[in-house]
Amino acid sequence: MSKMKKALMLSTAAIMVFGLAACGSSNNSSNNASKSNSSNTSNASDSSSNASGETVELSFWTLGNTNYEDLANQYMKDHSNVVIKIQNTGDQTAHHNNLTTALSAGSGAPDIFQLEIGFMERFLAAQDSFYNLNDLGATEVKANFLDWKWAQASSVDGSFQIGLPTDIAPTVAYYRTDLLEQAGLPTDPVEFSTLIDTWDKFASVAKQFTDKTGIPFVDSRDLIYNAVRDQADGQIYFDKQSGEFIGNTNPQVKKAYDFTIKGIQEGWVANYALWAADWTQATNDGGFAVLSGPAWMLGNIKSNGPDSKGLWRIAQLPEGSGNWGGSFLSIPKQSKHAEEAYAFIEWMTSQEQQLQTFTVSGLMPSTPALFEAPEFKDFTDEFLGGQASAAEFASAAERVAPIYYGPLHDQTDSYIKEAIQNVQEKDADPQAEWDAAIQKIENLIKRS
Amino acid sequence: MATTAQTSVTTTVPKRRLSERQRDNFFAYLFISPFFIIFGIFGLYPILFTIYLSFFKWDALNPMKYIGLQNYQFVLEDSIFWTSFSNTLLISVMGTIPQLLLALVIAIFLNSAFTKFKQAFRVMFFMPNITSIVAVALVFSAIYSNNGMGNWLLDTFGLDAVAWNSGWWGVKIAIATMIMWRWTGYNMVIYLSGLQSIPTDLYEAARIDGAGRFQQMIHITLPLLKPFIIFTVMMSTIGSLQLFTEPYVFLGQSGTSSLRSEGITMVNYLYSEAFSNSFFGTAAATAVILLVFTIIFSMINMWASNKLGGDTE
Amino acid sequence: MKAKISDQPSYFTTIFYYLFLGIGAIVSVFPFYWMFVIGSNERGAASHIPPIITIGNQFINNFNRALEKTEFWTSFVNSLFVSTVVTASVVIFCSLAGYAFAKYNFKFKNFLFIFVLGTLFVPQQLSVLPTYVIMAKLHWIDTYQALIVPAMVNAFGIFWMRQYISTSVHSELLEAGKIDGAGHIRIFSTIVLPVITPSIATLGIFTFLNTWNDFFWPLVVLKDKSHYTIQIALQQLFTTRDGLDFGMIMSATFMATLPLLIVFLLFSRWFIAGLTSGAVKS
Repeated sequence: MSKMKKALMLSTAAIMVFGLAACGSSNNSSNNASKSNSSNTSNASDSSSNASGETVELSFWTLGNTNYEDLANQYMKDHSNVVIKIQNTGDQTAHHNNLTTALSAGSGAPDIFQLEIGFMERFLAAQDSFYNLNDLGATEVKANFLDWKWAQASSVDGSFQIGLPTDIAPTVAYYRTDLLEQAGLPTDPVEFSTLIDTWDKFASVAKQFTDKTGIPFVDSRDLIYNAVRDQADGQIYFDKQSGEFIGNTNPQVKKAYDFTIKGIQEGWVANYALWAADWTQATNDGGFAVLSGPAWMLGNIKSNGPDSKGLWRIAQLPEGSGNWGGSFLSIPKQSKHAEEAYAFIEWMTSQEQQLQTFTVSGLMPSTPALFEAPEFKDFTDEFLGGQASAAEFASAAERVAPIYYGPLHDQTDSYIKEAIQNVQEKDADPQAEWDAAIQKIENLIKRS
Repeated sequence: MATTAQTSVTTTVPKRRLSERQRDNFFAYLFISPFFIIFGIFGLYPILFTIYLSFFKWDALNPMKYIGLQNYQFVLEDSIFWTSFSNTLLISVMGTIPQLLLALVIAIFLNSAFTKFKQAFRVMFFMPNITSIVAVALVFSAIYSNNGMGNWLLDTFGLDAVAWNSGWWGVKIAIATMIMWRWTGYNMVIYLSGLQSIPTDLYEAARIDGAGRFQQMIHITLPLLKPFIIFTVMMSTIGSLQLFTEPYVFLGQSGTSSLRSEGITMVNYLYSEAFSNSFFGTAAATAVILLVFTIIFSMINMWASNKLGGDTE
Repeated sequence: MKAKISDQPSYFTTIFYYLFLGIGAIVSVFPFYWMFVIGSNERGAASHIPPIITIGNQFINNFNRALEKTEFWTSFVNSLFVSTVVTASVVIFCSLAGYAFAKYNFKFKNFLFIFVLGTLFVPQQLSVLPTYVIMAKLHWIDTYQALIVPAMVNAFGIFWMRQYISTSVHSELLEAGKIDGAGHIRIFSTIVLPVITPSIATLGIFTFLNTWNDFFWPLVVLKDKSHYTIQIALQQLFTTRDGLDFGMIMSATFMATLPLLIVFLLFSRWFIAGLTSGAVKS
């Protein structure tokens, strides 16, 4: 026993010695790396005025499943003086929190950062931490992009541009042809779109369907609420010019709320929680007929509902489309290679590269000229029974109007969603819940 | 030291006693110094920063703006904060007290001479603590979903389904069971360790004197376990007040950026203030308020343990 | 339960007793087992209702997919290194400090001990920002020191060791050692250490577990893929564009959890060792 103890203490000591030695060596190597980086950056500030010559290293933080690594490799082949190092994560919150930390500490931010629309607001409020891409030449490419998408990354007056658009995620209505047939409804996309082309018509079709089949028409309260909410005229909860809270007076917000409540009370909004196991299962088993979601939701439907292949189609949402998701490429001020970085991101977001991204990763491009390209128009998806899905997403993209969110959009939205959940799960009184939510929001705003 | 040797003939005893106490002190301070050094470099600044930050308005990216005590006012006047306070207390009591009792009982069982498969049981009871939190979240949200196993069980007994994800009691019970499940084994390990420190011959003597198992437990085990019970109660108090992961993981599944008022705890409140709303000043004020609460509760803790006849030393 | 002179319980009690332990054990192990089930089945298994509880044959496939997407083994070794060093350091420094607080008398002892406890009272969520700033100033961003040094000694460990040492180490023995002329370190290693092995095992397990599972801080401070610890590598698997591939995620998570199981089994032998080798006879 004491021998074992002695051995253990010796080995512990050994580990510590090796550990500290390894620490030392990794310390050295990282110190060397950081030293060479800092010497590079100090040289690079000279080299940017000298044009090419020195190797420029660009760090690029990306998010999720993209083909950006391939694109970066391509770019490096054509530009031998540029080295691009990519750091990728799937966790959106962590990705953006990491940037916040680096910006706040004054060091560690990358040269290029993929900024997701859901996190845009806080960074737009910190313009001083980013390069104004308009100063680097963005004004010349502005016309190539969808105007509502471009506006998402602009300051209110349009003078500051924080990022170049990459992909978009317009919302459409995914529907199950087999379930519609059961209820005797038309299953052809064009016919169905016409059938539901206003929200009132949508509601009556929904009721008809559920009465006939006993199956809820809509998959979840959150998504249908989003669909109506996102059609607000230019602003949802907050006023674009003054930043004031207008959620309680904005008619579209109340309309979205009332519409969802109506659906719950009439029984055609299912009680599945978005992303939960029962919702996923229902996708596969036909637990609902219609799901309003963005372009990337198709990936979820495919993987959650393998048994339903060929049964889904895409129709257009009533009265306009929304957008949920999409990124931009931005350049934090900490970068010492703004011009090289901009050259790269302008290349990345140009038509050719966006087409590549679409073909490889399925991300919808933000350059409308591409919607006319044959590879795009003729793209069909077997899962959707051979429907030309890209063209559908393109039509949806054309129907999106620019919207201002404001920094407190997420939290405000979640209070309203909480209210709706209470109505659905606890039979709460809709008006009381609405008032409570507004109260919470007003408390929140006091703090901003 | 040389002087000591020279004068040792005449002044041996007093000199040695002094230097022994000095040496004692030297070694004592030496042994505790690593903590204070590390803390001084890495621990102190964040705490001071948090306190400092609580007097400012800050979104982490723009300059700080001094606003005095306003953050404290916001927090203390916010009904959601007080909801999070009562949630924290309720869920803690529900999740911690039964858990510590259960852990104690299981530890005693698994320390008993007549239990077979001790090692296997120990491993199995500790599994919840090493199972990945992702897997745990999935399992529990499946059990507690509207159409999941929890409601199915209730249905078999003829009871109404419970809204586990939005009901006032439902959410708390769900989170409390998650906590109990996850941490009982952990506390069991602590008690087991403590049980090892009790000399076996005490039990021998008691048995010879005719004491039964139950009596042995009351008169030998529990008193000698007192420092460990104090330890777990103290750590559980602190841990419960700082409860974060289980509610976050259970309620955060729906992807909304805030947590429902039925399950939000003080640290969740703090976290969403900072990382969802970018109100870092208010979050810092919440942290300071929580610090004060923790001090108060720990003092109550200490007083209660002393009252219950413990010398904690 | 009647108090019996004989220590053997009745037949009925035994059944009830093992039933109680057995159910508890099953409930405790089930999610871990289920993790393996999902990791060994195809993609949709995680959300299947009724739940799937049988083991499939896709484990290797799923795990291979995970290996393609992440630098699993590199991160695994990184985590192993960091966790081992931190555990060794914590065990050494916390036992010494706990010993000092338990068995020495020095000025300000009580105040300092309460101070140590007090450092546990502050919630850590906001510490990320200032700690990152410190690391930036030290040029320790993206290094192992950033993970190891702040964790080298902690208040939990000191509190734990102090509690254990104060009850299990008898001061008479320490006195005897002093009289025999042993130095402080010698007394610690020959008199104190043998008695406190269960507490060291416990502290070792907990420290290893916490360090291995630590996600938040490494995520902030590590940048290069080859420096990632295992929890961050696992995060790479959570991309929602195509829906979550739980088979892949769980197979990788399962593999990442195995070391914890092994460490527990190894260290927990020391619990029993203290008992059988003759605990202190009073």
